[in-house]
Amino acid sequence: MGFREHAARVRRILGIVLAVLLLGGVAAVLVTGGDKDTGTATKTVRGVIGSEKAEFFADPQVVKALAAKGFTVGTETSGSWDMEELPLEGYDFAFPSSKGPADQLRAKAQKQGADTATTAPLRPFYSPLVVVAHSAAARVLAGNGLATLGPRGTSGTLKMDAYLAAARADRTWQQLKGSAGHAELSGTLFITSTDPLASNSGALYLAAASYVADGGRVANDKAAVTRTAPLLRKLVQVQGSQQSGSDAPFRDFVSGVGNPLVLVYESQVAAQLLAGRPMGDLVVLYPDTTVNSDHTLVPITPNGRALGELLSTDPELRKLVVRHGFRPQGAANEFTTATDRHAAYLNQTLTGVRQAPVPTGKVLREMASRARDQGDTA
Amino acid sequence: MRTSKAPRTRLLRRTFAALGLALLVTATGSSCDTDRTGPDGEGAKIVPGVLRVLASSELTDMEPVLDTATRTTGIQVRPTYVGTLDAVEQIASGRADKEYDAVWLSSNDYLRLDPDTARRITAETPIMTSPVALGVRPATVARLGWDPAKVTWSQLHRAVADGRLSYGMTDPKRSNSGFSALVSVASGLSGAQSALTGSDVRRATPKLKEFFTGQKLTSGSSGWLAAAYGRRDDVDALVNYESVLLSSFPSGELTVIRPTDGVVTADYPLSVLTSARPEAKDAARRLTEYLRSPEVQERITGATLRRPVVPGVRPASALARDLRRELPFPGSRAVADGLLDAYDNTLRRPSRTVYVLDTSGSMSGERLERLKTALAELTGDFRDREEVTLMPFGSAVKKAEVRTHTVDPASPQKTLDAIRSDAGKLSASGGTAIYSSVQEAYRFLGRAPGDTFTSIVLMTDGENTDGDPATAFDAFYRSLPAEQKRTPVFPILFGDSDRGELDHIAGLTGGQLFDATKGSLDGAFEEIRGYQ
Repeated sequence: MGFREHAARVRRILGIVLAVLLLGGVAAVLVTGGDKDTGTATKTVRGVIGSEKAEFFADPQVVKALAAKGFTVGTETSGSWDMEELPLEGYDFAFPSSKGPADQLRAKAQKQGADTATTAPLRPFYSPLVVVAHSAAARVLAGNGLATLGPRGTSGTLKMDAYLAAARADRTWQQLKGSAGHAELSGTLFITSTDPLASNSGALYLAAASYVADGGRVANDKAAVTRTAPLLRKLVQVQGSQQSGSDAPFRDFVSGVGNPLVLVYESQVAAQLLAGRPMGDLVVLYPDTTVNSDHTLVPITPNGRALGELLSTDPELRKLVVRHGFRPQGAANEFTTATDRHAAYLNQTLTGVRQAPVPTGKVLREMASRARDQGDTA
Repeated sequence: MRTSKAPRTRLLRRTFAALGLALLVTATGSSCDTDRTGPDGEGAKIVPGVLRVLASSELTDMEPVLDTATRTTGIQVRPTYVGTLDAVEQIASGRADKEYDAVWLSSNDYLRLDPDTARRITAETPIMTSPVALGVRPATVARLGWDPAKVTWSQLHRAVADGRLSYGMTDPKRSNSGFSALVSVASGLSGAQSALTGSDVRRATPKLKEFFTGQKLTSGSSGWLAAAYGRRDDVDALVNYESVLLSSFPSGELTVIRPTDGVVTADYPLSVLTSARPEAKDAARRLTEYLRSPEVQERITGATLRRPVVPGVRPASALARDLRRELPFPGSRAVADGLLDAYDNTLRRPSRTVYVLDTSGSMSGERLERLKTALAELTGDFRDREEVTLMPFGSAVKKAEVRTHTVDPASPQKTLDAIRSDAGKLSASGGTAIYSSVQEAYRFLGRAPGDTFTSIVLMTDGENTDGDPATAFDAFYRSLPAEQKRTPVFPILFGDSDRGELDHIAGLTGGQLFDATKGSLDGAFEEIRGYQ
């Protein structure tokens, strides 16, 4: 526990230090480059981003705020781990959803000639992984000791230990009391996640599960991966074909089709709430041990870097970041203030939610490929 | 058992533009272009502001929405319609990279099972959803005493096994609705609690065989399936997307049943090809944003009866709101292909097909060689238990050369080699007796009626010159018993054959015309496989 709190504090301090440094950097850019970039001259930057950030970059207000700072940003989406497969030529930045793929993208960019200082990663905002459920499913989980629900029943906590035990035992919805009469609550109980080999949220799900299953230890070698491999394999194989980005399973959920439990980023839900969209019978379950997705921008060109710095520091853009459901790095009050009206759905201060540290990219890849591997199931 | 193959994809390019709903609504006729070789000159050209999209055939119903999109966003979509699973090969082979910017299929589930193919697309963005369901005649629902909201796959199986329910379904190798139905029923009847495995399929095989005895109609496309269903009064149900069932039969001619033990749902992800130009990727992104706006989502659900994917937009009132379990799609190519292979070679009713082949004098030389090559290629497609008859004709059926083979599951290769060898011996002579020869094919099939999908393929390169005229054929067809009338003729336009004559035969018998003058003969043969 102490370690985690410490880590969080260090990260917060680092965030502030970084922010100050970045502010300086941007100021320097503005001062030195100001003369050249006057009037209508804009920097056009292209980047590849995780699907969960697509709406942010498409938001007319974001486009306007960026334009006011002299940026026109073109984006395309890809699974975070899939980005590595893309040719990086022609991109100014890559913006995956966590550190692992970011490290690999940075290495690739450097191999292609980008310099070390330019490609130093930036983490403008983050979002914890949550599980969305329809209310009937959430109530059944709560009734069987797998979750606790808040007073309004629209948010709660998923007990990871109990959930993993159920997964180990191949527990079905039919075996849970209270599930009768709900046609959608049948079959093996599982959380839908994305393909961990392609997409960040799917990989982070495995990171959180392995951390819990291994008694609060971060997997750091092959032996650790081996210890939890059978369980992780189960969590993945039960799902069959998996999507390669977090947007699609969330949309299926919203559409009333798909699995009753879906792993998404908190930002995906918060963005809908902040846009004033009615959420029907949605319940947001925060796993008691979860992983934050640190949206990490890897600059490939100096313009890409300038964009990352702007996102981290510009007050207007930070406000827009919040409007899209993300938590900006540094002070927490920007997020809590903005989401005040939606506290029934959101655990604003992440009370009672532990942060599992994420294994290195290499270990995570190993975990994912062993979980996905088809082996003898055919 | 032969090794499993990826679903083949010969493409039905703009073919289904005319089909799809157009066929249902306006009954435009039965012609069907087989335009599959090389770029068509229009589709491949890059025009600024034009997004070239490889799209599922049922998306023709989105055209009004896309027209409005053009006015609002300036992006013009140029769709090329194909069978869903057929599109996979175009993407896998890299051919799609050359001709398209984006891909919009009912589902990317199958495509995703092959990592190399999956890498060729990116930015998959679901636009709307529709589960694969059964549309059952209300009288049948009443006769079976069912509450449509509470029917299970086991009940459906029981009804079929008792001879009380029959249905039409598309070919799972060519169409996503058929494949989704196959996954659903295999899950339902095996009792699988999570993603299907090979052993689930093996366990459910006896019940699946019984279930597929009820499949009385098969089709390469959902458009033709619905039209064929309209001609039949002995088929009780149709398997298709909920949206297609409700749109095609808007007056409650079919009661939609989503089995309570689970469905497979299409989520129509608009995806861009990884190789697309940046401007095209931008255009695709702007288009998806437009399609995802609440107002447009409302219009989509109202007009197409698919379900919206944006919170706060209510599904059209015709759509039932109670939830269903979503059956996981198989997670591996081995399971998916194993299931398709089992369907073809074990589960489905076998086919009986007569190939009525013009080997008149005008076929001699290059045309005959093309026919032989096409038949040799087609041979690889025949399924276990299938009965294949080659019936060459000139001034009359060349009776001494008529050969019938049944593919023996124990040694399929031997039969296939024999068919290939017979095809190689064809020789050209005589006139062209189209109508008399087709009558001969009906008489041949009528001699030993069995529990099979029967059809006649007619390949000719000229006009009718010998034997009966069209009027005699019409009279002959009308005199056939009801059971035999259900055998459709699929004519292939080739060489100098007369489109009017062939269209008439297709229309009369409930078949469909395939055009090999624009594409290739083997392409036409392959497309027809979906209907056999």
